Amino acid sequence: MFEAAGLMVFYENMLALNNVSLQCGENKIIGVFGANSAGKSTLMYTLSGIILDIRKKEEMAGGERITIRGRIVFEGKDIMSDKPSLRARNGIILCPERRRIFPESTVLENLRIGSYLATTAQAAETLDYVLTTFPALKRILKRLGGFLSGGEQQMLAIGRAMMAQPKLLLLDEPLLGLSPAIQYLLAKAIKEIRDQRGMSIIVSEQYARPIIPIIDHGYILENGAAVVEGSKQELLDNPDVKSAYFGN
Amino acid sequence: MSGSKGDRRKERIDRGIKVRSDSVYAISSWKEITYLIAPRLVLILGLALAPLLLSAAPYWQRVVSIICVYSLLAIGFDFLANYVGLVSLGGGFYVGVGAYAAALLNTYFGLPPIITIPMATLLGAIICTVLFLPCLPLRGVYFAIVSLMYPLLAARIIEALDIFGGTDGILGVDGFSNVWLEQYFLILCVLVMVFALRRLVEEDIGLVFRGVKDNDQAVKASGININEFKALGVFIASALGCLGGACLTHMYMWAGLSQFALDFSIIPIAATVVGGGGTLVGPVLGCMILVPVSELLRDFGSLRIAVYSIVLTAFIVFKSEGIMTYAARKYEQFERWVEI
Repeated sequence: MFEAAGLMVFYENMLALNNVSLQCGENKIIGVFGANSAGKSTLMYTLSGIILDIRKKEEMAGGERITIRGRIVFEGKDIMSDKPSLRARNGIILCPERRRIFPESTVLENLRIGSYLATTAQAAETLDYVLTTFPALKRILKRLGGFLSGGEQQMLAIGRAMMAQPKLLLLDEPLLGLSPAIQYLLAKAIKEIRDQRGMSIIVSEQYARPIIPIIDHGYILENGAAVVEGSKQELLDNPDVKSAYFGN
Repeated sequence: MSGSKGDRRKERIDRGIKVRSDSVYAISSWKEITYLIAPRLVLILGLALAPLLLSAAPYWQRVVSIICVYSLLAIGFDFLANYVGLVSLGGGFYVGVGAYAAALLNTYFGLPPIITIPMATLLGAIICTVLFLPCLPLRGVYFAIVSLMYPLLAARIIEALDIFGGTDGILGVDGFSNVWLEQYFLILCVLVMVFALRRLVEEDIGLVFRGVKDNDQAVKASGININEFKALGVFIASALGCLGGACLTHMYMWAGLSQFALDFSIIPIAATVVGGGGTLVGPVLGCMILVPVSELLRDFGSLRIAVYSIVLTAFIVFKSEGIMTYAARKYEQFERWVEI
């Protein structure tokens, strides 16, 4: 359903992604694990198309030259040259790292901004669903996004991405800086969303432990390259992966 | 997928001498010394020769002086905007204060230009800094708006209270003893200021300035009073403006309300955009392009502003990095195609 092949991204002369290939089937959760600077965020930017936007801005400002190579096929079409907005229209929705909540809009407004691409009926139905999945948001619908706690913000960010009716949801470090209890809760919610709404999810994370139980397939990124790939069990059994990404 | 053919990409590589460090160069041959000095020498010699080359055309000689005045303002703007993080539209205010200070010192106290110019620079900068003190906690567009109000306010106050000669301005200010002195004094000021500020922003204090711009909360958390540094930044920028204003007064032998004009606020910004923000030399380059262009366009009458605006818009849209940033990159790095 979704396939990226031979992705290479250079920031000037630095190789950020080195020949990364990745597949995501219908209704699957794919995990992408890696340390800081392994290329997780660049991968997410490339999959969602934001990288094209970054490249343009750098070009305008005379900054780094970003070179992108590779192929991304979504539902049988090559979308590599599609702008991020077009990819979003086609159902690839990014929930960005560090949440990027609109701080001066209320929770409800944030969610409604997300539903720009949805029909009124879809928006109403999804809003209901988001509030059932994250009941914590229900009490704070009128609060400004900037005043939420980290966990609430992350729920809101995932909710906002859901409102755009994704077929493929990209979650970039959704557990960043959250307590283990909330990490557990969010991981459960991500699985629930997949099970109940039927969408593919690619989730990137540094620390694999909270995410690994919910994934179907995983990739380990190191220095921009996918060094290990395998099903949940294969990753769990790999001793290198175990020591590096499970903290024991 | 980007413009290039096949599986190649264009690689940028620093030229050997730059690789060793960004600011400290290890020089081992005359060739490398030339490489480093050449661009600086072009600027210095170019400015120094301009009055000589234009000695046949007094009108254009005067334009060189005006370029220098605008350059001083533009350097100040660039410094304040790109190193301290204050976007100041108060260029007209600095010039006006410097101009009036010099004119008053000259006409009331009979001081010669050689004393009034430094005094007006210092006094004017102090006045500007004190007046801007209440606005320093403001950031971004708020500071820009307030600083834009100052020149308008000052002009209207002088007009309404009829002080300092009111709408007539202060007449009978001494001129420079000769045109060469005027030109070379201004050129020297511009060159000294450019190189001094370029040095300053690389020093420790420059680091703090840049810190204030990038993340003022982190600077506060390091135990530094950011308002002191912002005030110092405004002092430096306004001193540059007042210096320009004082010279302008002695050039025209007159100080008047038109020295609070918006031109002095706007053209330096345009020059910074064209020349390349954050380079400090770029704005001088920008002035060298924009001021003569605006003189040439006088023939077009009121279309002048239209042509001017189109040039500026084109620059911002298509080359927002500015000439200097672009040129520096081409000079310091070379490019080649590499296979992926």
